[in-house]
Amino acid sequence: MVDWASLLQSLANGILIAGLYAAVTLGLTLVLGVMGIVNFAHGELIMLGAYSSFWLFTLLGIDPLLSLALSGVLLFFIGTGIYRFTIRPIMKDPPLNQLLLTLGLSIFFQNLAMILWKTDSRTIITSYSGMSLDLGIIHFGLTRMITFLISVVLTVLLVVFLSKTKPGRAMQAVSENNTASWLIGINVEKTYLLAFGVAAALAGAAGALVSTVMYTFPMVGFKLSLKAFCILVIGGLGNIPGTLFGSLILGITESFVGTYIPEGSGWAEGISFVLLIVILIIKPTGLAGTRRE
Amino acid sequence: MNRLISGKSFIVLIVLAVVLIFFYPRVMDSYFLHLTIAIFLAMILASSWDILARTGQVSVGQAGLFGIGAYASALLYQWIHLPPVLGILAGGILAVILAVGIGYLTLRLRGIYFSITTIAFAEALAVIWLMIPDITGGAMGVSTPPLFGGNRILAYYLILAILALVIMTVWLIEKSRLNFAFTAIRQNEDVANVMGINPTRYKVLAFMISAFFTGLAGGFYSHYNTYIIPYEVFGLNVSIACLVMPIFGGLYTILGPVIGTILVKVIEEFLRVTVPYGHQIAYGLILVVVVLFMPDGLIGLWKKRIKPLFLKKSSVG
Repeated sequence: MVDWASLLQSLANGILIAGLYAAVTLGLTLVLGVMGIVNFAHGELIMLGAYSSFWLFTLLGIDPLLSLALSGVLLFFIGTGIYRFTIRPIMKDPPLNQLLLTLGLSIFFQNLAMILWKTDSRTIITSYSGMSLDLGIIHFGLTRMITFLISVVLTVLLVVFLSKTKPGRAMQAVSENNTASWLIGINVEKTYLLAFGVAAALAGAAGALVSTVMYTFPMVGFKLSLKAFCILVIGGLGNIPGTLFGSLILGITESFVGTYIPEGSGWAEGISFVLLIVILIIKPTGLAGTRRE
Repeated sequence: MNRLISGKSFIVLIVLAVVLIFFYPRVMDSYFLHLTIAIFLAMILASSWDILARTGQVSVGQAGLFGIGAYASALLYQWIHLPPVLGILAGGILAVILAVGIGYLTLRLRGIYFSITTIAFAEALAVIWLMIPDITGGAMGVSTPPLFGGNRILAYYLILAILALVIMTVWLIEKSRLNFAFTAIRQNEDVANVMGINPTRYKVLAFMISAFFTGLAGGFYSHYNTYIIPYEVFGLNVSIACLVMPIFGGLYTILGPVIGTILVKVIEEFLRVTVPYGHQIAYGLILVVVVLFMPDGLIGLWKKRIKPLFLKKSSVG
């Protein structure tokens, strides 16, 4: 006998968390798609976004859902700075150098956060934190629902930006072929800068969302970036529909494991690793195929 | 002349061996002996990471192998009272078995995919360890009997012997045909394949050698420290240390990982006193600085920048 209510509830929870995962992964997808770099420090940008949201709430009382834009702007500038001083000089280096550099940045920011803010896990409790939405047999936490909706909005904004605006279309062109883009007069250098900045801004916004539904601590970004890698591998590297697909698969799988396996919430933490390893073994270029090495 | 080693470096080696074996452990006080053991342990990790890196594979999950080695010897003592020295050996062997499995599955992957898989592998082990506490001891970790009843000088000799074995292995690899195979695979896998080198086979071999010493180091650590927890032995910090030290010193050389380890450990020890949390920030900074400004590490810096200064002087004088 299938318990439909619990099945639906579990599915719904999975979809909600998938929204957040998509927001977490979009910036990584953008940088990989446009610049061909797997940014290991993407998670730490999210972690910085989460802390900025936490401090804006704790010190100034600004609601995390409002400070989201502020975190985004702050991270945009941090991101462009990182690109200008560390990524730009190694754009033409072999991929392993880019891996090591961004890994170095990741370790640097993790430890900087430990030095500045200790290793405590911090939470934001807003006036609406405990509220939930009842829809007959299933119900949602209000905060999770809002983070899901904002993630959808962020995704739509990114898609519109990439398809309708001039700099967005330049990014698409560069991701197809950067030499040809340069030939037709696109400033590839500036496009990279903007892509990295936008990705960091997305990470900042995603970080603000993270701060409302999870603990904020120095390693939170690293944990999330491992999930994001899994999503990239499921969805094929560097494309947005694949990222959404991958987020759904991971979110729902984690939710089902959490519901139906004894002590499942602990095992769910390992799902992303298992999926990642299994998919890479079956299909070394990622499940949905890819155009980049 | 086909001698493997010149007379001069032979004398240097003998002097070094005499100092390290007879002189050093007697002169040093307990704290410095402990620090030396920690540095030798780190050197083993650094050199064995470098062996795999010679085939162009960047492992970011050495903690998986280190942790398996550590837990193998700890749990084997708990279950069947296997003597620590044999437990350490078992740790190395288990790490090799694991490396063969993972190697055949993932070493077909190139570059960044392999790196990501190794992180996932180490993190997955940490999750498994936390989830089956009946077998693994869970988050609380397990205690182990001290090595040689806590005799630090004997522990020093053991780690020195393992280190000597690692260095000798690296040296033998450099002198053998393996060196050509590893280098060819690193520089261009497709070309190596055409030349008749089977890349996967050599990569798995390099991974096995690397895993063996990393597992031994894990086993040693568990008995030397007398207590291990999954967060620590499977942790990202271990994997990062394994790669930062040889990269800092200079890749694909015998001396690079050794020098890199000494400097990184000294910096870390200094920071540990001043910064309670996050002293590993040095690892991140070193990685960024090395990639940006000194791609061949300290050894490269020495060869390119500093050595020419001396040569110029002597040729003028």
